[in-house]
Amino acid sequence: MEPDQQFQFSVFFCQQLDPQQDLHSRELERVWGSRIRFFPMQCSGRVEALHLLKALEEGADRVLVLTCPEGRCRYKEGNLRVRKRLEYARSLLEEIGLEPLRLELRAAPAQGPRNIARILEPVLQEPWEHGPSPLRNGGVQGDLSPEGRNS
Amino acid sequence: MITGTRKPMEEILAMIAPYRRVLVAGCGTCVAECASGGEKEVGLLASQLRMDSRLRKIPLEVGEITLDRQCVYEFIDQLTAFLEKYDAVLSLACGAGVQAVAEVFPSWVILPGLDTSFLGQTKQAGLWLENCRGCGECRLHMFAGVCPITRCAKKLFNGPCGGSQAGRCEVSPEAECAWHLILQRLESQNRLECLEEIYPACDWSRQQGRGPRRIQREDQRT
Repeated sequence: MEPDQQFQFSVFFCQQLDPQQDLHSRELERVWGSRIRFFPMQCSGRVEALHLLKALEEGADRVLVLTCPEGRCRYKEGNLRVRKRLEYARSLLEEIGLEPLRLELRAAPAQGPRNIARILEPVLQEPWEHGPSPLRNGGVQGDLSPEGRNS
Repeated sequence: MITGTRKPMEEILAMIAPYRRVLVAGCGTCVAECASGGEKEVGLLASQLRMDSRLRKIPLEVGEITLDRQCVYEFIDQLTAFLEKYDAVLSLACGAGVQAVAEVFPSWVILPGLDTSFLGQTKQAGLWLENCRGCGECRLHMFAGVCPITRCAKKLFNGPCGGSQAGRCEVSPEAECAWHLILQRLESQNRLECLEEIYPACDWSRQQGRGPRRIQREDQRT
């Protein structure tokens, strides 16, 4: 991949998913380097729309929320609540013309290893149609002084 | 609680268009409870505005602050230290809060970020219902704590209209019939005789027609 096509990922994941999450997240960090940032949450239900917007604002091209399989949330409905919050966050992105699908929710498979590296590897390799975030190089240099407001 | 909903983004963007430094100011009381103007919502709106400015390549600096209340001078005063850095304040308080801030800082531009809606209660998570019109003549004691002025679509004072079905309002089936509730509760309290009383129409002059209402208590004044 060319450097300008290298995407930045932010991953919010439920800590209940993987007992060896530190080991497995480091495994992915060794491969993806600073292009991937992990945000472990006690439950995916703790993820707020604000977390997702901040991740995009701070440079992520693609934000993934990794939840427990449906019906398997330790706190009953955390993985259902985050679904609604993600939809809300998507609606906020739509309002400003940023692709809502930069926010994604993935439920871990009901069967399979409790290993976030194994779960995420195929997701990270997927072709990504939305490209780099238009926010990435969007820092605006301009006159912020009160006198410059009409310029 | 005073409720409100955030204004559409286009309206907000049009309001702030002339300004380069905008302070998004939340209110930690009523509008925080109804998830439209508290600290979280300030963060969300500020983040949206920052991203929007980057997308449209418009220079904009967005600050964030949330006061405990925007309708009380002691709290509004906390803005004093920040205002010099901003061209405008986008307030996520109710209309009362916006006006109070505008009165304290008359030379600053204070913009409303919410459409203030009604006095209501949090019925369940994410659901707020209007239950008080602020008519100025509360008779809830006669109606077992259910306001027919607010919760009856026809504002009937002297009994049900007869159109409700299975306890739901015929005008808005998603709402419970206020008179159905009143009857149920009075019956459970053995106070059905309250219904025999004929109530005079509400004195609307207390609510409307005399300009802005005021409450003045000498014991509270300095």
